[in-house]
Amino acid sequence: MAVISDDDKIICRCEEVSLGTIKDIVHHFHCSSREVKLRTRAGMGYCGGRICRTIIEKVVQDINNEKVSNESQLSYRPPIRPVTFGQLGGSGNDDES
Amino acid sequence: MSDLLIIGAGPAGLSAAIAAAEKGLSVTVIDEFPKAGGRLLGQLHQEPNGEWWNGIQKGEQLSQRARQLGVTIQCEVSVYDISQSKNGWDVYTTKGEYKAEKLLLATGATESPIPVKGWTLPGVMTIGAAQIMGNVHRVKPGNSCIIIGANVLSMAIANELKLCGVNVKEIIIPKADITSNEAGNPEQVLSSLMRLTHLAPTPILRQLGKIGKLVHPKIAIKLFPRKGIRMFDIPLRLKNAALEIVGDRFATGVRTANIKANGEIDHTSEKVVDADFVCIAGGLTPLSELASIIGCSFKYIPELGGHVPVHNEQMQTNIPGLYVAGNITGIESAKVAMAQGRVAGLAIAADIMNDWEQMETSINKAIENVNITRDKALIQFHPGISDARKKFYQKSEVDLTQISKIKKREA
Amino acid sequence: MTMRVEYHPVLGNLENQRRITIYFDDQAYQAYEGDTIASAMMAEGVKTLRYHEVSGKGRGVYCNIGHCFECRVRVNEENIVRACLTPVSEGMRIHSLS
Repeated sequence: MAVISDDDKIICRCEEVSLGTIKDIVHHFHCSSREVKLRTRAGMGYCGGRICRTIIEKVVQDINNEKVSNESQLSYRPPIRPVTFGQLGGSGNDDES
Repeated sequence: MSDLLIIGAGPAGLSAAIAAAEKGLSVTVIDEFPKAGGRLLGQLHQEPNGEWWNGIQKGEQLSQRARQLGVTIQCEVSVYDISQSKNGWDVYTTKGEYKAEKLLLATGATESPIPVKGWTLPGVMTIGAAQIMGNVHRVKPGNSCIIIGANVLSMAIANELKLCGVNVKEIIIPKADITSNEAGNPEQVLSSLMRLTHLAPTPILRQLGKIGKLVHPKIAIKLFPRKGIRMFDIPLRLKNAALEIVGDRFATGVRTANIKANGEIDHTSEKVVDADFVCIAGGLTPLSELASIIGCSFKYIPELGGHVPVHNEQMQTNIPGLYVAGNITGIESAKVAMAQGRVAGLAIAADIMNDWEQMETSINKAIENVNITRDKALIQFHPGISDARKKFYQKSEVDLTQISKIKKREA
Repeated sequence: MTMRVEYHPVLGNLENQRRITIYFDDQAYQAYEGDTIASAMMAEGVKTLRYHEVSGKGRGVYCNIGHCFECRVRVNEENIVRACLTPVSEGMRIHSLS
């Protein structure tokens, strides 16, 4: 029976970045999770990386044979929720686009 | 301008609000969810004495008590940025700007993903999502489900889904790969279940805990039946792995296979098990993004669920005027979060009134209560929590505060 | 077919729920007051709330507490909201995104 390859499974749901893409980038550039993010957009989508960041860091650390550091490479930056110009102006509607 | 703004109306945030308001502080609590209560809202399990822990009721009691004390609770408010000002904190939200002298982050946890092939299909959700849907909204995500991920949380919620009338077909584990950590290794999964306390929330876990004292996991997993053991009549199958979630427009089942004790897959045993929905139970990790944008220091502590903001036993972070409580400080039960909230509320009151000495006894008593609650907790997410906490607080880099000076004087 | 948990052995039964009408992609659905958009649609068996903007693949409720943004929908022609955090209201018009 054919063995299913996992490389096409999605890691970053927002930007639909696959495990294979992330692995390829790390192998090719020997890079950090931050660089993976910039090169693939994994973790840069609507959710701000909240869902997939730990997995991206895990994959990168595994391949690069690194230990988990105290400070995360994938830092959060404001706004941590999508906001509109209306909200920035304080109009207080519910739009999150 | 409030004395104290609390972000998160869960067990920690509401308990802190109550403690601070009892000391006369003006307190505002904000939360994204339409109802106050946070993670309490979904919780429903039986205590060893047979009584039900009804999180919805508990949450209502806490918010009612807080409101009686004059606390303002505002739901459907999302924070997108925070800055420190001369007089305290400016918090920018989807409902405008909030100002407060002291800030408490009680944002709880987020669920860790297990990226199984097909997990973006509609009908695939986190175990917590299904819990909220069933217990809070009183809607079943489907008539039958499969749970991927065997841990204390998924086992507790499996029973809650069953109470909602869902046919929970089985709890299986993810296929072992670079993304699944120990969650995909049968021996390690069983080992962590066996290390659970004798006070675990289900009889089968208590049983596993007893076995764990007698038998090494290496041997126990060999003896573990391939068809699984039953917990609340739900099969727990540690020797079955989820290879892929199948379905065209939405999830209709999971392709599974038998696996060996080390996680190796027997591909000849592959089959598809049908289900209306699929839950992913990857465990919890502290949700600390707000602490991160403020610039807190972090420490990686696996026993506490990942990266936690550096803080001391009084719940102060290394940023003056910024406090944390609840699961943002490490994954523990709601009762521990409530006890921590009380510590934070009292410490903030002492901070605002600049009267640490008078508050010293009550703060120390509240800290003691956190430790007692932790030791008695039914749901211990990790067996090493107590020791990890002790080590963390001994080494805590937050010792510039007046409270710490009191501690030192005592010592 | 409703997916409501009308009877519950511990939490008790759902009684006297006020029904309201909402519209999802111009089709009328019954919801209960107090529902979020996500729970109302799930009760009606609607699992797909959005289509991925590039691949076009369907998405539904994933985290149910506002972290993942997978369930975002357009409400009343203007606002994009998270279905899991947004209470329904009478006559609300909700549209899937694609």
